Parts: sequence; structure tokens; C-alpha cells
Amino acid sequence: MTNKTFIIIISIFLIQFFLNSSYTVEPDEVLENQKQELRARDISKNVRCMICQNQSIDESNAPLAKDLRIIIRDKIKEGNNDKEIYKFLTDRYGDFILLKPPLKLSTLALWFLPFIFFIIGFFIVFVNNKKSKKI
Amino acid sequence: MKKQLLIIPSILFVLILSTFFYLLIIERNPSELPSNLLNKNVPNFKAESLLKNENFVSSKEFGNEIILVNFFATWCSPCRDEHVYIKRFANEKGIRVIGINYKDNSNNAIEWLKNLGNPYSDVPIDKDGRIAIDWGVYGIPETFIVKSKGIIKYRHVGPITKKIYKKINLLIREIEQ
Repeated sequence: MTNKTFIIIISIFLIQFFLNSSYTVEPDEVLENQKQELRARDISKNVRCMICQNQSIDESNAPLAKDLRIIIRDKIKEGNNDKEIYKFLTDRYGDFILLKPPLKLSTLALWFLPFIFFIIGFFIVFVNNKKSKKI
Repeated sequence: MKKQLLIIPSILFVLILSTFFYLLIIERNPSELPSNLLNKNVPNFKAESLLKNENFVSSKEFGNEIILVNFFATWCSPCRDEHVYIKRFANEKGIRVIGINYKDNSNNAIEWLKNLGNPYSDVPIDKDGRIAIDWGVYGIPETFIVKSKGIIKYRHVGPITKKIYKKINLLIREIEQ
């Protein structure tokens, strides 16, 4: 492969990578008010598609994802704030519908155990290092 | 002292391993999620009825008895599979079953019930799927056990199989006591 074709292939991949903002949102769903539409897309990116499970509803073309996108837009038009919209969703589908688990008493371990393990690991390395220096 | 401490990582390792092994062998479906509506009241909704002239009003329907709520559609083939069991709930066990017709063509649904038999005491129509979203439904068929005072006790996602049929019967008996 010549250097030139290599560069072209790499740049195609890079362009693909950066343009990879998915467009599953169908034209008839898009709100006229751009600010509201952006808000809707922001929320949709944090909401799990319950059928596909590892996709957000912003990326999924499952019918339920579309329904939820429309509901989110309706709620924005009605003047609900983001918190109210998330509450609407979690009331029905539980915290699982949020791609990022919320910081709660029941999720404390999930959020903070990695830091605790890190500190323990750091401590162990530090102590062992000190010992080995003595020898 | 130091040698004794060395045993701790191996114990930890065995513990973690046995936890994973336990989770593997017990019968468990990790994608099965408990409904967020458990032990809560059924969502309020009003809908056109497929078979009756008057509207279906949820607040009037849920009250004294145990009721099954089943989301179904004619386009959903697992719904056809579980229909035998839905009929058995209604006919053999005498349980009231409400069938919510999800995003369906009403004519097809009427025809479907005529052909396969109608176990439902009432069939509210959920044309756009909004009722299902209020119930936290994510894929039909889904079946809920609602006890007296309209409190949701159990949700099953997917078709009712022989095993699930038995399980639901057991749960109903438990709730009745």
C-alpha cells in the first residue's frame, strides 16, 4: 500500500468516526424550535432503549424508542423541565432506563468502590516499595 | 505471620469464583427486570373498548378482586402462543383478565378473538402505545397481576409458558391468602 492510499483510508475512518452522530431521529419528530430540539436530543442520549438495552433511544430505531422520543418532545413543548421528564421515565421504567446510574444510597458502592480499591492498591504499592528499599 | 497473610488472596479468589459460579447455575434471567410499578397502584387511564360501546375507565375496573392485565396484539406471534394459557386463566380458574390491545388494527383484533376465543372481560384499545408506556411495558406480550385495590403485584415479560402459567397460579394463590 502506498503512503497516499494509507492516508486516504485513515482519513476516511477518522471522518466517519467524528461524524458518527447518529440520525435515527426521524424528520417528522424534529421540533421546530432548535433549542427545544437540542434539549430533547440531550435527554434522549441519556435514556436507554429498553428493548435494545445498550443503545440510547437517540440511536435506536425500535418503535418504543420512537414513542419515547416523541413523548420527551411533547413534554418539552408542554414546558416540563429536564428533571420532570426524567422522573416521568424512571417512574415507569425504573432507574434502568437511565444509561448512567444515579448517585443514590443503593448505588454508593457502585460509584465509590473503584476509588476505594484504587486507594488500597496505592497503599499496598507504597508500603511494599518502602520495604523493598530498606533491603 | 507473613505467610499466613498470603492465604487471604486465594480465599478471596475462591469466594469470588464461587459467587460467579452460583450466579451461573441458579435459574435466573439477567435481562428480566422487576417492574418499577410493583406494589404501586395501576396507572389511571381511559380508553375506547374494543368490544363494548362504553369507554374503559381504569378507576372503575380495578377494585375488589385479583385481575390479570395482558398486553397483546394480533401482529405479535408470541401472543398467539400464550393465548391458550390466558384462556385457561379465564375459563378454568375463573380469573378476570383484561386484555389491552396494543397498537393494533381493531378489525383484526375482533377477528382474532373470534377465531381463538375471547378470554378477556374487557379489551381497552391502546392505539398509540401511551397506556403501555404508563405501565412500563417494553415489549409485548406482558402480563401483570393486579390485586385488590388495584395494586400491581407481579409483572411477566414475554409469553406465558406452561412454567409461567403454574408460577402465576401459585402467586395468585399466595396473594389470595
